[in-house]
Amino acid sequence: MNEKSALACRACGAPLDIRNLVSESGWREAPRIRDMTEIHFNASTCQVEGEIVPTAEINLGAGDGIFFEHHVMLWKEERVGMSVMQLPGGLKRAFAGMPFIISMASGPGRIAFSRDATGELIVLPLHPGMELDVREHAFLLCSHQVAYSFVRIKGLSNILFGGQGMYMDRFVTTGAPGLLVLHGYGNVFERRLNAGESIMLEPGAFLYKDSSVTMDVEFQKLGTGFFGGATMSLARVTGPGRVGIQSMYVHHHTE
Amino acid sequence: MFCVGCGTPVSEGQNFCRNCGHAVKHAAPAAAAPPAPAPPVASAEPRVVPSTPPPQAPSPVPHAAGPHGRCEWCGAEVDLSLGSCPRCGATLKMSSAKTPSGWTELPGRKDMAKLQIGNSTCQIEGLYVPVADLNLAAGDGVYFTHHVLLWKDTNIAVTTMGLKGGWTRVMAGLPLVMTQAVGPGRIAFSKDQPGEIIPLALQPGQSVDVREHMLLTATSNVAYDWFQTGIWFVTQEGNDSETHYPVGRYMDRFYAPTPGLLLLHAGGNIFVRDLAPGQTILVKPTALVFKDPTVDMHLHFEHPAGIFSMWRSWSNRYLWLRLTGPGRVAIQSVFEHIEGEARNMTRWSNATATRW
Repeated sequence: MNEKSALACRACGAPLDIRNLVSESGWREAPRIRDMTEIHFNASTCQVEGEIVPTAEINLGAGDGIFFEHHVMLWKEERVGMSVMQLPGGLKRAFAGMPFIISMASGPGRIAFSRDATGELIVLPLHPGMELDVREHAFLLCSHQVAYSFVRIKGLSNILFGGQGMYMDRFVTTGAPGLLVLHGYGNVFERRLNAGESIMLEPGAFLYKDSSVTMDVEFQKLGTGFFGGATMSLARVTGPGRVGIQSMYVHHHTE
Repeated sequence: MFCVGCGTPVSEGQNFCRNCGHAVKHAAPAAAAPPAPAPPVASAEPRVVPSTPPPQAPSPVPHAAGPHGRCEWCGAEVDLSLGSCPRCGATLKMSSAKTPSGWTELPGRKDMAKLQIGNSTCQIEGLYVPVADLNLAAGDGVYFTHHVLLWKDTNIAVTTMGLKGGWTRVMAGLPLVMTQAVGPGRIAFSKDQPGEIIPLALQPGQSVDVREHMLLTATSNVAYDWFQTGIWFVTQEGNDSETHYPVGRYMDRFYAPTPGLLLLHAGGNIFVRDLAPGQTILVKPTALVFKDPTVDMHLHFEHPAGIFSMWRSWSNRYLWLRLTGPGRVAIQSVFEHIEGEARNMTRWSNATATRW
């Protein structure tokens, strides 16, 4: 519970004195986390620094740990212990272009992360019993209580034209809550779809979704009279659940 | 209660928001006051997002009921009590930032600013890589290049628009396919670069020349054409010669027979200035965003003094685009490297030169 005088949420960093920005079409803009906002999880804190390419600086408490893809690490104190998470299906991951190694850092000590593009940090406190699917390489860090796996995207057309590779990261919480920090390119928007409600997305814009949300690629022929024209692929996402998109999408070229 | 402009808490007695100056709308005494939006609080449950509102017809053009004035950006006559210009989204209460050198910065725009386009509306969302979210009324349409499409309602159909000179477009690297969507329904666009969306409200009979790949979307009543820029240079390396087009081989020209809207996206920050007849300015060719058709352009070489002129060295010249008024020109602060600039140039289009 936040204190009455708090300006930002302790759990996710969202400003408490500014209302949610929701477009008329139903997209909620990710809360713009103020520079130097501190977020608490377990015995640790995460401070979000900067606004254009923000950094997540973690002050790990003793016994706490986080895991991450090693290329997003910006700096760390020497005393922070490092190890490698054991992952099943390593060969499959390597072939799929996913990170073969997921690194783990354990407290006490400070360690910081950032990604290589203008964007926003999305802080998602995960409550027990949640399952979240995330675009590969989009997660910045996750607390060690959260189970990490990956799910194969079903359907050859989804893999080839979905613009997000063969796998998605899946984060599952069982008994204990956890914290997941994502980085989205540009601005990030979230929408809650009702059961059976659908929306068509540029596949490269997909960032995260509840595991209850389904995603299928559909094609549309764009006739030009030249060489059979072009084909546009869009992802149909269907509720129930949340879906998050980034406005600076990873563009996959029209086939 | 909260300011509808910026979300800052305001007290009952305040007439204007202390943070942004937006007029505070108090509920009429007779009417039941709407519940003030409660600030979000942390809870064990995930933050609830309002579910998608049912499809609704776009609201009519806001009636200019308050004090009248003109939007400094698009010139539209507007009700100054509104926070943003309904034609272009520019913040009305901010005086435009003009540099002593004469460049005017694209006016600030509040997140979620709403534009009125006929019976349709456009909400511009986000500040780093903004999204243009259009609610098209029945019969209203827009066209766009298909790779800028971010999301759309399932009921809105996307079709191709016929373009002349398809083969030449392919050769020039221009998008071969221009797509269009017709309302009713919602559709949203964004580009994959941090920058700004530039709403250009076109008056009847007005034209504007836009550098290729800058278009986000245009209302279907705006005519689209393209022309050769005539800006080029040839480089030679050994037996290989190559022609380069620093502002693109072609430029888009948009013409509005009736009032229309053009939404452009450019990188970084955008600056605009009005050139007087005969007035010139040198700009980086790849920084150009748009210009009035009355503005003439050609290449300009500058050779700095005191530098030994080395063969094939970039240091013996600067390459500029020389723009001559009258008319508006706009530039972006993020621009690409000019391919071939540093190489040995053998021929070029009409150009002027200065040797210091």
